[in-house]
Amino acid sequence: MSISTSPAAPIVKPAEAGSASLSRNEPPIIVFEQVTKTYPNGQAAIKDASFTVRPRDFVFVVGASGAGKSTVIRLLIREELASQGHVLVEGQDLARLKHRHLPKLRRKMGIVFQDFKLLPSLTVAQNVAFAIQVTDPGRPHLKEKVGEALYIVGLEDKLNAFPTELSGGEQQRVAIARALVHRPRIFLADEPTGNLDPDAGWGIVQLLQQINHRGATVVMATHNREVVDLCRRRVLAIEDGRIVRDEAEGSYLREGDAIL
Amino acid sequence: MNPIPALKFVARVAMQNILRNRGIAMASVLTITLTLLGAGAAVVVVHALDGVLHTEEAQASVLKVFMADHVSFASEINLAQNLASESAVSAAAFENKDQAARQAATSLGLSQAISLLESSGAGNPLPASVNLHLKDIKAVSQLNRQVRSSAILDTGPHPTDYNANVIPRLERYIFVAQLGGGLVVAVVGAVALVIITISVRTAAYVRRREIEIMKLVGATDWFVRWPFVLEGVIVGVISALVAAIILVGLGLGFGSGHGLALGVGPRFAALIVLTLVVAGGLLGSVGSFVGVRRALGT
Repeated sequence: MSISTSPAAPIVKPAEAGSASLSRNEPPIIVFEQVTKTYPNGQAAIKDASFTVRPRDFVFVVGASGAGKSTVIRLLIREELASQGHVLVEGQDLARLKHRHLPKLRRKMGIVFQDFKLLPSLTVAQNVAFAIQVTDPGRPHLKEKVGEALYIVGLEDKLNAFPTELSGGEQQRVAIARALVHRPRIFLADEPTGNLDPDAGWGIVQLLQQINHRGATVVMATHNREVVDLCRRRVLAIEDGRIVRDEAEGSYLREGDAIL
Repeated sequence: MNPIPALKFVARVAMQNILRNRGIAMASVLTITLTLLGAGAAVVVVHALDGVLHTEEAQASVLKVFMADHVSFASEINLAQNLASESAVSAAAFENKDQAARQAATSLGLSQAISLLESSGAGNPLPASVNLHLKDIKAVSQLNRQVRSSAILDTGPHPTDYNANVIPRLERYIFVAQLGGGLVVAVVGAVALVIITISVRTAAYVRRREIEIMKLVGATDWFVRWPFVLEGVIVGVISALVAAIILVGLGLGFGSGHGLALGVGPRFAALIVLTLVVAGGLLGSVGSFVGVRRALGT
């Protein structure tokens, strides 16, 4: 696949001026209402968690491994259903969402993971195009849309490279580009810097901030203390499945907590 | 969603799957071909046995009434006319001694024995007869009882060719053959279904990452499922075509003249090919549908 890289229009519209104040008046785009998730083995991953996320918010979900961060993401993409309580996305209760409507929900979301989930047999451009081909194969201007997404993540010169020829940071950028082609309103990232060196990880977080600045709501689960502390964005801290802290411009650890 | 690009995508992915997993696909085609070959052969054998039954039934519904040698030709014709007027009889044909000899010589290969007897002065030993074609085979035994009372019949132990055991025995054989054939078809069908299910499940496992990504980016279930279903249909139809070619080839090889072996005509052969292809396609689609369910988590 050969693709030109002239961005005709931005994938995500830049946020309007004063968006922060606008979002305060808008209904939340994500609602967790007394959510408990217990897995079949009896392990309670989330316990009575309640929080809301406004449109265009950028939220870090932090906590140690096994605290329940990934379960929050899995509940948001309806990979899991809450055992108790309600998870709402754009006002839609996910427990009531019919299975056949799940693809529509997923297309509103961009999702990236620690392990990138790229197809090694496809080129960078083909990996990004894949998201369109399997959801809307007749969509016009496929090449332009792929080019735009790769331009945003800074990989417009790697169209024909294969994932194995890229660094970890570049692979994660390809995954982000693939998540962007549906122009998602919500962008979910589950430990996106987990497999990356600090510089590459910081580059990915900056990219997510740029996506947020363009108008998408970003929820990022991480245990990368440095990036959380550098960004000073909203922080939801989870410990043993419970939301223990929700700070507007938070840090990875509570002020005064010792690093063990 | 525009269906044309969607169908193109499904077809392309299905072909890619087959080529990528060609080892598994080849093994599936081979095994399903063998099973369909078994099923096809069973159908042919049952059909041939069914043909034998119908031939035997047709023959058994003809009652041959043998005349005594001393009876005059007028009496013979008279009896034939009387019997022809019976309601159970659809047609009656008189066969004189010479015709009986010619018939025995051609159909039973007794020409040498008959010539020998005639040249020795013993004459033609075969009796004249009236051949009664009955409307219903069940009427044969009643008519047999009725004609035996006639004075002009052969006085030997068998004044007619009625054999009480032939039809029930034939029907028993056919029942057993049909049951056996049905069982063979059912078993090989189930085996083919399991093979396709396992094959597609393996293909789905190999492609689990691709499926996971498809679901994450919002592909519908049918978009994930249809390439697998098409893959199963292609494998099933190819297997069926190979089985049909082998079956028809064997039929031609063992057949005589322009016909196929076991009395299979071109129309029935075409029907078998069509049935095998439809069965292969159905087995492929159902097996794939079941096989990909786990991958979809539905």
